[in-house]
Amino acid sequence: MASAAQSPERRRYVPLFHRVAGVNALLLIAAVAVTIIVLAPRKISSFASDEAVVLVAALALVVLVNLYLLRRLVGPLQALTALARRVDLSLPGERMPTAAPASEAGDLALTFNEMLERLESERREATGRVLAGQEAERLRIAQELHDQVGQELTAVLLVLSRVQAHVAPEVRSEILEVQDAVRASLEDVRRIALELRPEALDDLGLISALAVLCERFAERSGLAVTQRIADELPELEPETELVVYRVAQEALTNVARHSGSERAELKLDRVDGAVTLSVRDAGRGLPVGSAPGAGIRGMRERAALIGATLEISDVPDGWGCEVRLEVPLEVPR
Amino acid sequence: MDYRRRSGSVGRDNEKEAEMIRCLVVDDHPAVRMGLLGLLEDQPDFVVLDAVATAEAAVAFAESNAIDVAVVDYQLGGRNGLWVSRKLKRLPEPPRVVIYSAYSDGILAAACVVAEADGLVSKARLGSELCDAIRRVAQGQLLLPTVRPALADSMRRRLGSDEQAIFGMLLAGISPPEIAHTLGFSAGELESSLWTMLRKLERLEVEPAELLRNRSWVGTRRPTRLLTKG
Repeated sequence: MASAAQSPERRRYVPLFHRVAGVNALLLIAAVAVTIIVLAPRKISSFASDEAVVLVAALALVVLVNLYLLRRLVGPLQALTALARRVDLSLPGERMPTAAPASEAGDLALTFNEMLERLESERREATGRVLAGQEAERLRIAQELHDQVGQELTAVLLVLSRVQAHVAPEVRSEILEVQDAVRASLEDVRRIALELRPEALDDLGLISALAVLCERFAERSGLAVTQRIADELPELEPETELVVYRVAQEALTNVARHSGSERAELKLDRVDGAVTLSVRDAGRGLPVGSAPGAGIRGMRERAALIGATLEISDVPDGWGCEVRLEVPLEVPR
Repeated sequence: MDYRRRSGSVGRDNEKEAEMIRCLVVDDHPAVRMGLLGLLEDQPDFVVLDAVATAEAAVAFAESNAIDVAVVDYQLGGRNGLWVSRKLKRLPEPPRVVIYSAYSDGILAAACVVAEADGLVSKARLGSELCDAIRRVAQGQLLLPTVRPALADSMRRRLGSDEQAIFGMLLAGISPPEIAHTLGFSAGELESSLWTMLRKLERLEVEPAELLRNRSWVGTRRPTRLLTKG
């Protein structure tokens, strides 16, 4: 998103470093020339060549030292510009090295870091609020679908069953068709409600919810989904479980939509100090040079919310793409 | 199939009454309740004694009226259908219980086993299938979807060791009195364990009904406990 915000009317200019270095070099050369002319005007014509060499060498040395000092002062500014251009708040944690010399540039780097810190924390809070609102809304819609639409369709189905017994045989087949249509809608409503809100997560916890997700997903998409869920997993916060679940859901959806793979593997494991979720497919791998879509950004944002990292990469050995979520157990906030 | 030609094993005094299946409808949604009432009253072999909206009203009704089959919505707003099932099964003459649920999956089936419900019917089923299920349950069949081993395992993880044993035996179709005898529990101890288990396992609907679409109704197991009950 940082690159997209680049202003189009940015004008070309001579960089500060070149300008100051150029002016300094000119001033030095002019100063030496003036000194020679003022102090020893008659000597100019009788300069020995070795004296000239020494003079030029000294001058060059002075200019170089000047360049070096300037570079040290201005260098952080260039690094700062580069970082400011590439910084991406959905991949937090990138900072300027703060070992810069005590100068305005070093100060600026420090201030910049503080600003990033603030932006990232504000962004985390805003994302958290948005996602919490989204989850609450999903829950509300799921309940509404379930308690209202679903029940009313059930009632319609019951009435149809009853009416069917009383009508003329030639109408009966039509009523059967209507019944089938209502049943299909009822199943759609239930499926949508379940996708909106994984009740298994609240009721049975992450492991069972993932097991159910895989089974349901395999059933619907025709993908062969292998589950490899470790036995001894630590208890996770409900908030964390929801993130892991949603990332798994999104990753499986991506496999079905984009990978062209016929199988997927979901792995939940514990490695030292972290719980990792990995979803891989045997598909065509990541498309080259494409910008991450909304689904991937969403996964990143959710991951950032709980201090987890999300990596998406191609994996070898007959596999295609892997989404890997690493949740540190001691969350640094 | 002629369901009215059942054997006289129901053992009612009145011969005509024994022919009819006495039903209680429990659903908190007015439209569904009316739909159920209309459908069941239309069946020649059913008589609907009452249609109530809450779990408490259902239990109160069953305490003072003899019923054969209670058709109970799983979600009743307050206490759910499984609570009703456990309560009804503690009556001196327990009725059969059909849980009528938005979802009918393995997880809910397992909870139904703990609640001693006899049948689980998805609300996406046709009315005729529901009536069929009520008749079968009235005959003593058990109509619960099978619990897949992987799912049973993940549910078992939530239970204590005694509870796991009880759960396993219930899934195998062993009757509560036998379980109490095997584990050396008193009836009261087993009862309180079952309640605890139900609390841990209930509110569990997760899979959509289509997962069970191809599962045969007829092939459902018939544990001895239900055939020898009463």
